Parts: sequence; structure tokens; C-alpha cells
Amino acid sequence: MFGCNVVLFLMEVDSMRTRPAALIALFCLTVPCLAFPASKVKLGFVNTITGAEAPIGENLSNGVTLAIEDLKKKGIEVDLVKEDDTGKPEKALSAFEKLATRDGVAGVVGPYTSACANAVASRADQYKVPLLVPVAAKEEITQKGYKFVYRLNAPADVYSSVILDTIFALDKPKTIAYVYANTDFGISTVKTAKEYAARVGLKEVADEKYQKGAPDFRSTLSKIKALSPDLVFMVSYEVDAITLMRQSREIGLSPKAFLGAGAGFTTSQFLAQKEISEHVFSSTQWTDDVNWPGAKDFYNRYVAKFHKEPTYHAACAYEAMRIMAETASANGGDREKTRAALRNGSWKGIMGDVKFVDYDKFNNQNRHEMLVQQIQGGKYETVAPAKYATKKPAYPFRWK
Amino acid sequence: MNLTVLVQALVSGILIGGVYALIGIGLTIIFGVMRVINFAHGELMMVGMYLTYFLFTLLHVDPFVSVLITIPIMFAFGAFLQKTVINRILGSLPQNQILLTIGLGLIMSNTVMLLFTSDYKILTTSYSSSSLHVAGISISQPLAVSFAITVAITGALYWFLMKTDTGQAIRATAQDREAAQLMGINVRRMSILAFGIGASLAGTAGALISPTYYVFPQVGSAFTLKAFVITVLGGMGSVVGATLGGIIVGVVESVGAVTISSDWKDVLVFAIFLVVLLVKPSGLMGKSRM
Repeated sequence: MFGCNVVLFLMEVDSMRTRPAALIALFCLTVPCLAFPASKVKLGFVNTITGAEAPIGENLSNGVTLAIEDLKKKGIEVDLVKEDDTGKPEKALSAFEKLATRDGVAGVVGPYTSACANAVASRADQYKVPLLVPVAAKEEITQKGYKFVYRLNAPADVYSSVILDTIFALDKPKTIAYVYANTDFGISTVKTAKEYAARVGLKEVADEKYQKGAPDFRSTLSKIKALSPDLVFMVSYEVDAITLMRQSREIGLSPKAFLGAGAGFTTSQFLAQKEISEHVFSSTQWTDDVNWPGAKDFYNRYVAKFHKEPTYHAACAYEAMRIMAETASANGGDREKTRAALRNGSWKGIMGDVKFVDYDKFNNQNRHEMLVQQIQGGKYETVAPAKYATKKPAYPFRWK
Repeated sequence: MNLTVLVQALVSGILIGGVYALIGIGLTIIFGVMRVINFAHGELMMVGMYLTYFLFTLLHVDPFVSVLITIPIMFAFGAFLQKTVINRILGSLPQNQILLTIGLGLIMSNTVMLLFTSDYKILTTSYSSSSLHVAGISISQPLAVSFAITVAITGALYWFLMKTDTGQAIRATAQDREAAQLMGINVRRMSILAFGIGASLAGTAGALISPTYYVFPQVGSAFTLKAFVITVLGGMGSVVGATLGGIIVGVVESVGAVTISSDWKDVLVFAIFLVVLLVKPSGLMGKSRM
């Protein structure tokens, strides 16, 4: 780019000594080509940086950091205002209000958790600020007809359907038990799993909600063991997944399959617990071995920079920030134009094809295709859908 | 309701209750001797958990063996806090004391977060998910060892408080600070001892729970709340009461989870807590301090 302008300049410089108007014209032609940065855009990012969900929040922060670097290479300078919601909806709300009013951002990416994202979504239309939710799963967020709220990831219903589809392709299980955190994410995911189970005639034998972070699930798990369900479906944040699986092993709970809905079942810490994590299924928004453009490269760069493996949260946050920044920048930071461009645009990147559409009860929802992974030989392997699978699913489950 | 499930819940409840008791005893001793409500108790436990974690990952000391190292370190840390900070506000208004201990707790958790980030640290031992099976009941191996250690420590503490001169001096200070002082007891020194013991008990509880739980800077707050329920339930200042309180909370949570729902177990604990407070406001063992 720079080279072409230099040649142009050398060709014309001779004849221009006497023609200032032409010189100005050349300057105008050259400058846009040379311009670094081409545009600057102010965006907000609400995330859980401290508090109990901070470890997953860190994945989102890192994903966004990589996105900002990549955007800079493309000539988009992002003036990012980061806000910490500590995992509390009221803090997320005040952070969003600050971004919308005092900071005057063109758009907001976040928040991380369902509870926070749901609270913030209710105000996006009021402040007319485009909000792109990267990873919160609660269905309601994109079901209320908000004009300014967009969601990149697949909602809660897909977490359960994609994993149950996988099991039903292998077997005809008859009974299922639910163990899940008493959070917006847990409740909405299990609600949709129950709807699915009712459709296929899967009988529910236990429905156990628990308080996040509890140290002892042994009695609950032994109660479930006595009911000997074919499937145990769990929804847990972070390390509750490890506590639950450790105590399942202690108690000797052994269903045909342990199904984990995303979050705590997709972390490298869970993977590292080899005794308890082998052959556990989990649904996920992203894996590094899918053929979505740049997925593997993102994984490698993430590991090189942060010395950790990225979870799907990192990929979702990266892509959400990229889409929001490119769209806002192309529209000069105008909120209404950015909203319209999000509504009408389509993108392709590390999360596959992205397009915000209306379907069923959802609006401005990307129909993201979720994946099912299973830990095999101490590694996450994509086992479904078939077109992305790297390994065949191992079934039924047996303790090592 | 299956009988095996109920017995299983009872056994699990008693075992986890033992660890709860240890947290409660620490808090109750501190309150008994100094009349200071220690809101940083959960954070002391968190410091104990980090100590255990690093002793295990860096020096390969088994979490249960590491108690031998954690106890003196936490005692020294507690005594230091008492001598430098808490002794200064012993005579001041209760709300000032509360604010001070809350502040100490915040400083501890945020310092740990600055040093070691907010990442969850998971301690994986060869027995983290092992269990013994007795007549169809599974007994968590790490929890059973924790319980045995708790019983030993509580026994030793009880002996110390009842039989030794220093123990009696601590009890005298708890019963009447001024009278104890008049009898020639160095009450400031007793306070330092009491806070040291309280901190080392909290640290030990942290060490004992580490192999089956996880460590992060904010882990303390949940346990601070639990410690208060246990202490108030058993009677503020009573060691036996705190032991009883811990076991009751453990059993109610566990049995509540199987008979009603795991969602309701906290409601049950607080309902019993309220009933005890209504019937006997001083707590179960409220009168017989120490």
C-alpha cells in the first residue's frame, strides 16, 4: 500500500513543482492509503474481572485483548473502556449505564454471566446502545424483542439438545437425573433439557438444584445413585464440576453417561483431573479442532501469549469484540447505524458463520452451531456433530 | 426414602460437620476471650488453604501432614495480627471492631489475589476422590482422615483449656476480663494466645478441606457466614457448643438434601438457627462458657 503511493508520488512529483493544486490533490489521495489508524472507535466491555466467576471471566478478557491486537493490525484502533461487574447484576447495570452516558461508547460487548447479561439487556434499548452478548446462555436475553441486543453464542436450549442428540444417536436411555447450580444459566439450561426429555420420552428421576460453591454434594449424589438413572445431566460453573465428579466417584454413582453443559466441564482444570474427567461429555460453543477459519490459529496464539488453553468463552469474546469493533468503526461510531449494520451484516471467523436473525421466539440471535466434546485419553475430542468430529464417542461410561 | 441413603447422608453430614466445627471453635475462642467478632475468620482459613496448597505443590507435603506446619505458622500469624492490630481496639466500640476485622479480611483476600491471581487452585491427591465402603455406605477417605484429625485437635484443645494453667488463665479471661486481670493474669497475652489459637484452628480447617475442595482468594466469605451460624447456634464462646453446632449444621444440610431437596438445605439450617435463637437466645450451650 505504502509502496504504490511512493511510486505514484515519484511519477508525478516532477510535474507538480509548479502546480500546488495538484500537490494537494496528491496529498489527499495518498493520506487515506497511508493512514494508520484508519479509524478510532470507543467501545465498552463489561466482564467479571473479580469475584467467584473471575477465572472464566479472565478467558473473556484475554480473548478481547487478542481481538484488540488483531483489530489494530487491520487499522481499527479501539478505545476500550473495561468495566468489572464482579458477577453481580446490579453492578453490571450501573457499569452499562456509565458506559452509555458518561463514556459515550458506540457499543458494548458483555457481560459474561446470564444474570448480568439479562439485567443489562433490559436497558440497552432505553439508552439506544448496541449490546453484543458474547457467551451468556439464558434464553430470555434475546426473546424480549429488544432492538439493540444481539447475541453471538447459542442459547441454553442448544446446550441440552446438542448433547442429548448425541446420546440418542448411540442409545435409547430411559431415565435422567438433573444436578445443577441454582443460577440463571443452570435453571434455564435444565428447563430446556426437560422440554427435550419430554419430547423423546426420557423419564426424569431427580431434579436437584444446589447452591454454587457448596463443599458437600455426597448426600444428594447418593440419593441419585439409589435411583440409578441412565443419564446424569449437570450444569455447573467452574470448579463445582470437579467437586461433583469427585464425589460421584466416591459415592460410586455410575450412569451410562455423565453430561455436562458447558462452563465448568470445558475448562483445562477439569481436564487435568484425569481420574474423574475421562469420558465425560460436555457441550461447548467452540473447540480448537473445528474447521472454522482461524480457530486453530487463535488457539495457538492464545496459548503462546497467555500460557493457558482458551475455553470457548475466550473465542466467543474475541469474535464478539471483532464484530462489534468492525461494525462500529465502519459506521463512524454511530449507535443507530451500528445497530442496523449488526442486524443486516454477516461475518465469518473463528466461531464459523455469524448472522443475527429472528427465529422461533428469538430475535437478533446468531444460530450458532454447538459442539459436543468428550474427554478421551486426557484430551478434549470433538465427538459431534459428525461433520466436525475428531473421534467417535465412547459409551457407556465406566469409572477408571 | 431408602434407609441406606439416609444413613449415608448422616455419615457424610457428621464427617463434614467435623470440619465445620473446627472453623466454629476458632471463632468462638476469639469471641470468648476478647469479645471481638472476627469477620476475617474465613480469610484466615483461606490463608491456611493457600499454605497447604503451596506446601503440597512446591514441597510435596501431604495436606494432612502439612497441618503440622500450618498450625504454628497460622498461630504466629494470628498472634501477630492480635499484637499489632486488634489489641489496639479491644476497648473501643463493637462497630469499630467489626469494621477493623472486615478490613483485615479484605486486605488478606485482595493481597492473595494480587499475589496469586483469582485462579482456582485445585489440589489433587491420590485420595481426592477415594472412599471406603462399609455395609453399602461409602465413607470419603479424605473426609474420614479430616474428621479424625479434627477429633484429635479438639480433644487436645479441650485438655489444654481445662487442665493447664495457661488454659485456665484463658478461660478466666473469657469469664471476666477485669477479675482475671486483678488475679494477676496478663490478659493481653491471653488475647494474643487466643487469637493465635483461633487463627491456627481456622488454618487447620482450611488445610483439612483442601484435598476435596478448591482454593481461591474469596473462598473465605462463605465459611465466615457458616462459622457465625455454628458459633451462635452453639452459644457464643462455648467450645463444646461450637463442636455441637458444627455437627448439627453438617447433618442438617446433608439429611435435608436427601429428604427434601439440596436446594432447601440452607433454608433448613437457618430455620433451625432461628428456632434455637427464639427458644434459647444464648445458643445451645450459651451459659457454660468454655
